[in-house]
Amino acid sequence: MSILDKFDLSGHTAIVTGAGSNLGREMAIALAEAGADIIGVGRRILPLEETGELVRTIGRRYFVRSTDVTDSSQVNAMVADAIKEFGTIEILVNNAGGGGAGHGKQLPELTDEDWHDGIDTNLTSAFFCSRAIIQHFLDQNYGRIINITSGLGYRAARQQFMYPISKGGVIQLTKALAISYARENIRVTCIAPGRFPHNLTTDIERYADRQPAGRYGRLEEIGPMTVFLASEAADYISGETILIDGGAIAAGIVPAGMAPKIDEVR
Amino acid sequence: MDLFDLSGKHALVTGATGPLQRSVVLALAEAGCDVSVTTVTDQLDEEVQANSILNECWSIGRQGEALTINLTDEAAIEEAIISLEERIAPVDILVNMPHQVPIVPFLKTDAAAESQAFSTNVAAVMIPTRIIGHRMVQRGVGRVVNLASIIHDRGVPNCSLYAATQGAIVGFTKSLGIEWIRSGVTVNALALGFYEELAGPQSDSRLRAALEQYIPLRRLGRSDDIQGALIYLVSDEAAFVTSELLVVDGAISVHA
Repeated sequence: MSILDKFDLSGHTAIVTGAGSNLGREMAIALAEAGADIIGVGRRILPLEETGELVRTIGRRYFVRSTDVTDSSQVNAMVADAIKEFGTIEILVNNAGGGGAGHGKQLPELTDEDWHDGIDTNLTSAFFCSRAIIQHFLDQNYGRIINITSGLGYRAARQQFMYPISKGGVIQLTKALAISYARENIRVTCIAPGRFPHNLTTDIERYADRQPAGRYGRLEEIGPMTVFLASEAADYISGETILIDGGAIAAGIVPAGMAPKIDEVR
Repeated sequence: MDLFDLSGKHALVTGATGPLQRSVVLALAEAGCDVSVTTVTDQLDEEVQANSILNECWSIGRQGEALTINLTDEAAIEEAIISLEERIAPVDILVNMPHQVPIVPFLKTDAAAESQAFSTNVAAVMIPTRIIGHRMVQRGVGRVVNLASIIHDRGVPNCSLYAATQGAIVGFTKSLGIEWIRSGVTVNALALGFYEELAGPQSDSRLRAALEQYIPLRRLGRSDDIQGALIYLVSDEAAFVTSELLVVDGAISVHA
């Protein structure tokens, strides 16, 4: 068997939350290209169906499940239905997340609801989905969970509270799950993407030079790392968060714009 | 699968005669890459090892050569790389794997031991990286992966010298990754935990048994365990991953 075969996910089934757009869609497609069937989860059916069309074009099965991942009863029902539909689930990608209702507000203006919404969207959702699937993973003595955090899971930014706090929590959730279930052949890892804008306006593009790489991440770059972490090739890795950010966290955001241009390096 | 296919590329793995290094060379060859290796001495056993590794690569249709060079001798490396470029191809992927594990109480070390450890574990990484990296930056493409240990981030008795060299590798990796990212060259490190094939407390059978209980995945690492991470990091698909330390350690470093 060649090392490249160890990245093959044929015969596996993956739940991907937030599969209707951006990074979630890219991850679903990459997992499908590597051989996995997909359960696409999210609130809005239409974008989930669009992802489904792409997955089916690749030749994989796709099951769409409208779910509010911050509601544990909906999450439990989604997982039960997915298992009923596919028999076994091997991979869970906890990708759903976002800025939440309080994004952009100053601390005194943040309401209790803003706080809970921000934490629930990014952290509680991953906790609920992991809790819902763990017995199934234990029963089959196999499971792979991939969480998605952010550079802001490591660092802070002015007047940002729920997002960095919940994303930091996702890194700790990864470790807690990894250590709790290491003996049962359940591996838990986390991807920390840098900036991957989904609609590049000239306004955003203008700031690309502040990134060490001089560019943002391209959506298609997230898929291969997801496949790697979901595969047998990553069997001795667990609890780890891996950055895919063109060096942004290693550099730090502000001095990043000082990364040397090509001509200065040679 | 096409994903992570390295066909048409040429990798150089330095310090290539240990079991971990052998595993890396074979993974690169299986992924489609031509692979050359370096040995530190021209002693017969090392040469036999290097040739046996290369034989396995040749048997699946890859090219590659064994170079015997002192990895801190700039002129010798430069000369070897020029001739390697002529006979095989420019180096697209550099995997720096010289790695010694000095375990000694700090008060028993001396300036000579420090100089030796930093020469083997650090200078032997930085000097080839400068010579080969210079060419990668000119060509606008390249992958550098350095072998490191999770010990850089932990306090372990009798490992101050070893840990200092590993901290040096991590710092080197992070800064150089940023310096070269706009040139299309990424620089990353693979951080290992306790492996069957590495020296360390695991060499003692009593400590080894304790480790097997303590490592969350309940076993020591094996040389094959690093193949997937290595292939991912050197692939075209990982162009946006740089200055990163990818830890392959059975989760021991996330344990409380």
